[in-house]
This record gives sequence, structure tokens and C-alpha cells, in this order.
Amino acid sequence: MFRKSVAVGAGLMVVLLLAAALPGAVLGANVSSGAPADTGKITVAAWQAALIAFGYYLANSPWLFGLAFFTLYRPLVAGFFVGCILGDPAQGTLIGAAINVPYLGFISAGGTLPADAGFAGWVGTTIALAGGLDPTKAIPIAFGLGLVGTIIFYGRMAADSVFAHWADARAEKADISGVALMNWLPGQALLFVISVVPVFLFALNGPAYVQDALNRLPAWIVTGLVIAGGILPAIGIALNMRFIFRGSVIPYFFIGFILMTNSHGSMSLVVIAALGLALAYLHLSFVRGLAPVKAEVDVASAPGPAVAAAPSIDGAGSGVHLTRGDLLRSWALWTFFAHANYNYERLQGTGFAHAMTPIIRRLYTTEDEIRAALKRHLVFFNTEPNFGNIVHGTVIAMEEQRANGAAIDDDAINSVKSGLMGPLAGIGDTLSQSTITPILLALGIGIAGGTASGSAVPTLTGATGNPLGAIIYVVLVSIVIVAIGYTAWMQGYARGRTFVTELLRSGTIDRVLVGAGVLGNMVLGALAAKFVVVNLAPTVTIAGAQLNIQAAVLDPLFPGALALGLVVMTWWLLRRVSPLLLLSIYLVFAIVAAYPFFGPGQANSSDFSYQACTSSLLHPYYPCGAPPAPPAPTVAPTVAPSTQP
Amino acid sequence: MSLRLVRIDDRLLHGQVVAVWLRALGAQRIVIVDDATARDEFLREVLTLAAPQGVPVEVHDVATGAARLIALAATPEPVIVLARMPRTVLELRHAGVPIEVVDLGGMGSGPGRRRLHKTISVSPDELRELRELEQMGTRVEIQIVADDRPIPFRSLDSGS
Repeated sequence: MFRKSVAVGAGLMVVLLLAAALPGAVLGANVSSGAPADTGKITVAAWQAALIAFGYYLANSPWLFGLAFFTLYRPLVAGFFVGCILGDPAQGTLIGAAINVPYLGFISAGGTLPADAGFAGWVGTTIALAGGLDPTKAIPIAFGLGLVGTIIFYGRMAADSVFAHWADARAEKADISGVALMNWLPGQALLFVISVVPVFLFALNGPAYVQDALNRLPAWIVTGLVIAGGILPAIGIALNMRFIFRGSVIPYFFIGFILMTNSHGSMSLVVIAALGLALAYLHLSFVRGLAPVKAEVDVASAPGPAVAAAPSIDGAGSGVHLTRGDLLRSWALWTFFAHANYNYERLQGTGFAHAMTPIIRRLYTTEDEIRAALKRHLVFFNTEPNFGNIVHGTVIAMEEQRANGAAIDDDAINSVKSGLMGPLAGIGDTLSQSTITPILLALGIGIAGGTASGSAVPTLTGATGNPLGAIIYVVLVSIVIVAIGYTAWMQGYARGRTFVTELLRSGTIDRVLVGAGVLGNMVLGALAAKFVVVNLAPTVTIAGAQLNIQAAVLDPLFPGALALGLVVMTWWLLRRVSPLLLLSIYLVFAIVAAYPFFGPGQANSSDFSYQACTSSLLHPYYPCGAPPAPPAPTVAPTVAPSTQP
Repeated sequence: MSLRLVRIDDRLLHGQVVAVWLRALGAQRIVIVDDATARDEFLREVLTLAAPQGVPVEVHDVATGAARLIALAATPEPVIVLARMPRTVLELRHAGVPIEVVDLGGMGSGPGRRRLHKTISVSPDELRELRELEQMGTRVEIQIVADDRPIPFRSLDSGS
């Protein structure tokens, strides 16, 4: 997958660079076409490129309380910040939002990364904004960048394994601070270099290269990129649908879609989300019943007496006890540094040991005890770093009991860690990565990316971005993720295994997922209506009048029917075909669909001046007989070419 | 062939399985075969409850697991089988469970373990067991998540 991703991404880039290098005449470039003109270029100064490169590093770094992965790493948020750096936050947010849509189904689990969404967001927005590109064109270009960007992630995963062994050496010397240091310093120094250098170069030179390449490409291929920008979002939306488009909540997707298309894209995503919340409540009350789905909680039968609950904090009596401060410090260290030295060999192993340092300091005094504890927690570990914190809480309670003489051996602690980390990661990833983040992102993207006013079909050309979309998303996702992480940590410590079984038996998580499914489907449906664009361009002649099939026949019946069909078909295909293969097929299809086959008298024309009536499958050029009027203002003309002879 | 995925993963049921494989394969049942887990009432319950609604999880030891899998393999219901280590799969195979492909999904590193590929490390014993599986006609592949291209174990195992 990794090699394939990079190959596809690199292929895309090479095509662009080749186009930039070849003389325009070879490719028959620069003929006027219906493709939107790109205007308003910005020159990226060195200091701006440096800031952008630093922003990309931050997006992968631990320094933002572990929230970078949920915030700066997402193209919507990256777009906002690139916009701020380059002096146009609104347009930056709009481009970031557009780039983010194909990544709605993005999941990184257990050291796998389908594409580097952060690279796509930071570099893609820079190239599109500085090059004055239409946001729709930015989508396929950024997607190619995202595939290339995975090199950084995999390089780091491989190199960081070495630093885990450096941490081992410190543990052998019972050096608590040394283990902590090894978890962040070498890994972050490496990450800083391999992130900042390529992004700086891309940000500084990329816009001119891409701009140049686009100018030299034949107009219909550039148009193909625009069409791809309307089709690729279907893949992101369908990838996300794999998680939430299931069972009794499926209809809400269509409700969201229909609300958006029938209000001509003018309905606020916030209103749709509010409706979704109301419907989620009704759905849970009437379709599912609000009572616990699973068996009543029977606390008495929850097993695990030795580790069921920790002694109360600050509890009286002899022995060493953890303070609330120890717990908070430990939680903060984990939240910051869980992924600071993420690597193939141990995944979050060194992060776990780092988080345990305040606990080990409090509980153990002799060198042997400290060495044993450090080594115990440096082993392979991986869970979802927020909901999975139940494991840490439970383990801390066990360590405390052990330090006070309870008969808890290494095996007991290891079996809780290795037994719980998997199942809790399963639930945690489902909650945070495949439910909460995409739904909030969809909301933010919907707020950020408006459709140009007065347009019958969704188009981003001439639309104004709304930075509020990025800001609202960041605030909401941060609150939810931190709340989950904190609660899991503290409850895991206070109630251990009992908390796990009680929580799972109560059916709370299941209800949250179903409710989120209702809301998510509504928002996702609305987003599909906004970002997925399929416009049949050919016309038919009926009673002497030329009628555009899309505008005259399809839209009056069911606006957006083709886009909806494409999304559902993509969802169906994704169960059989890999996303990358589908992406390649769609890209080729988009470019073929831009070739001007159709139109009276022009079917076999070798003259690509498109000034007469020609049309491709998905993009109309000029109406028959109409004088060319470049630059044409929109992706697809808002009025069907219907009345000409 | 309804045993859609037979996976060796020391974390058993986790994000890659629940969020990626389950969706990608459209599997409707997860069968976990592991002697130690089958004995641990707490873990058994957590695993049973951790899967998404509507996907039943069964936890068996090798003896009952083999009988159950032979029965399930004859039905059209798509099933994901999870085991913690190669020996379990070898025992299942010896007990007559039809396993065409076994997927190495996650085998952590540790002292005495050699890294084959990214997150896949093996001990010398496990290496022998995997070779034996190949000799019995079960293909051994590394495929962490569904979108990865499967890598044949043979191409990484220089000693066989």
C-alpha cells in the first residue's frame, strides 16, 4: 500500500512537472476554454514558507496537548492557518475545506497511514492559494501530495525504533528522566528536520511549478482536474460512509442530501446539524428505545477482585499513595507525548513509559524497583490514546497496590495492558477516528465552504470561505477528545475493571454511536450535496430546441441525482475495490470525461479551440454559436446552453 | 470459504480489526481462539462487548474453537478468526480447520524476536511454526490492514 500510494502520488506530480517542462506547443496548450481562469497570485516569501513548514511540523508534533492530530493535521485547519500566513484566511479555509473532503474517511490505526492528510493540507493549500487556483482544482493536486507525504511518516516510524533502544539503555541505569527524554528529544529532532525541509521547499517553489504546469497542459486536461475535484470528494465521503452508513440510520444520509440540494446549497450546516441532533434523540427514543440495550449492570458480578478498584486518593493509612497531582501529571505526559516517538517496533511503548515516570517516582525508591518498573513499561504498547486511557488508569492503580505490598506480579500488569489495549482501541478508534472527528469535520467543512451564491449547481469558484468553520471545528473536537481522555484516565484509576465492564454493559457507547450515526449521516449527506459535482454536459435537440440533459431533464426531477448516485456507487464499490485503485480510475475517468467528444459538428474536430459548440461528457464548453467570452466565471455554466440553433 | 480472514495478532481485537477489516470484509462474526483468553472471564467479557453492535464475538480455546470453526467454515456467513500466536493456528490446522491463508497482522517485538516487517516480529519457535503451516499448504501473508497489498511470508523468510 505504501509503495503504491507513493507511486500514484509521484505519478501525479511527474505529470505536472513534465507538463511544466515541455514546450506548450507540444501539448497544444493555452487554448481558451471553459475552465475557470486562475487569478490573484501571491508570492510566497521565505519567512512565509518557513512558517508553513513549521506549521506542518507542529501538526505531527506532540506540543499541542496531543490535539495536533485532530486539529492542525486536518486540511480544513491547515488551510485556515496557511490562509492566515499568506494573508487570506477566508480563501485558505475554503481551499483547506475542499482538500479535506477526500480525507473524511481518513483513519490511522496501529502505525498505518493511508495518506498524509497533513501534507496535503499544508502544502496543497499553499500551492492553491499562492497560485490563485480554483479550490476544485486543488483537490486532486493535494491528493497526490498527500500520497507522496506518507514517505515522511514511514521514514519516521522506522527511525524511531532506534530511539526506543536508547530508552532501554536509560532504563537499565534506572534513569527516569533519561527514559522520558528519549521518548521525545531524538524522535522530535528527526521529525523536525524531515518535516520542515521538504515542506519549506514545496511551499517556496511549488506554487510557481504547479501554476506553470497547469498553464502548459491542454485546456481539457485542466478541465479534467476540475471534474476530478467534483468526483474525488465522493471517495472521501464514501470511505466515511463505510463506518456510519449502516442499518436503521441510512435514511438520514438521504435526508441531509435532499435538504441541501433542494435549498440550492443555501441551508446552513449548523441548522442541518441541529435537525440531526433532534432526529438522533427521536431515533434513539422511538426506533431503538432509550433504555439500556444490553443487560442491566450487575456490579457484584464484575470480576477481578485484586485490581477492581484503587484505594481512594489521599487515603489514610501507611504506605505510599499517589496524589491527584501525580495522576494529572501522568495524564498530561501521556496526552502530550503518547506519539512523540511512535515507531514500528513498540508503537506507543516509549510513550507509555514516559507517562508512567511521575508514578514510578512516587511509588518506587530503590534502584532495582525503578529499573524493573521502567523496563516493565517500555514494552510494545498501542491503544487509542484517549478512550484507551482506561488501561493507563487501571495499570496505575495496580502499580500503587503493588508498591504497597499487594501480590501483583509483572504478568498481572502485562496481561491487563495487553489484554485491554486492543479491545479499547477498537472502541476508541470507532469513537474518535471514525465517528467524532469526521462528523465534526464534516460540520466544519460545511460551514467553511460555501457554494457561490446564485449558482444552480454546487461550485466553489467564486465562493467565499468562512474561517469560522475551522475555528468551530477546532474548539468542538478539542473539548470532546480531552473530555474522553480525562474521564477514561480517572475512571480507569478509580474503578479499574469494574468501569470497563459497567461501561460496556450499559450500552452507553452503543447509544452514542447510533446517535452520532444519525447526526453524521445528515451532515455527511448535506456535505455530499455541496462538494460532489457531476454535471452531464451533452445536449439533446427536442422540437428544434437544444436542451441540456442535466438542467432540462434531470434537475427538475431530482436535483443532484447523479452526484447522489455517484456517492452511493462509490460506497458500494469500496467494499470490492481498494480506495487507491478507485481513485486512479476516477482520475482517468475525469480526464476522459473532459475531452470534447460531443456537440454538433465538432465530434471529430482536431481543433481544440472549443469556440464552437462542443461538449465533453461532464463539462460543457461554449454554447453553439455563442462568442467565446473568456475567462468563463464558473466551473460549469450556471445556465444550460439550451436556446441556440 | 467463509473464514474470510484468519489473523494472527497479539492485540486480538483492536482498531485495525474493528474499524478497518470488519468493514472491508463485511464480516458478521468474530471468532477468537486463544487458550489463555478463554480462561480469563474478564477479558472474555470485554472482548465480547467491544465489538460493534450486531457483530457477535465468540471466545474459544483451541479444542472447542476447532470444532466451531469447522462448522462455521461450511456456512456462507463471513467470519473473521483472530489468534494471538502461530501455534494456535497450527493447532487449528492440525485439528482439520480449513485455512487457506493466514494473515500476520500484529506481532510485537521483544527480546529474542526478529523483525520481519514493520510491526511483525517473530521468535525462532514461531518462525518454525509458520514454516510448518506453509508446508501444510496454508499460505502465510503479511497484511496489516485491508488496503495493504499482502506480502508473502516466504519472500521475507530467508531461512526457509
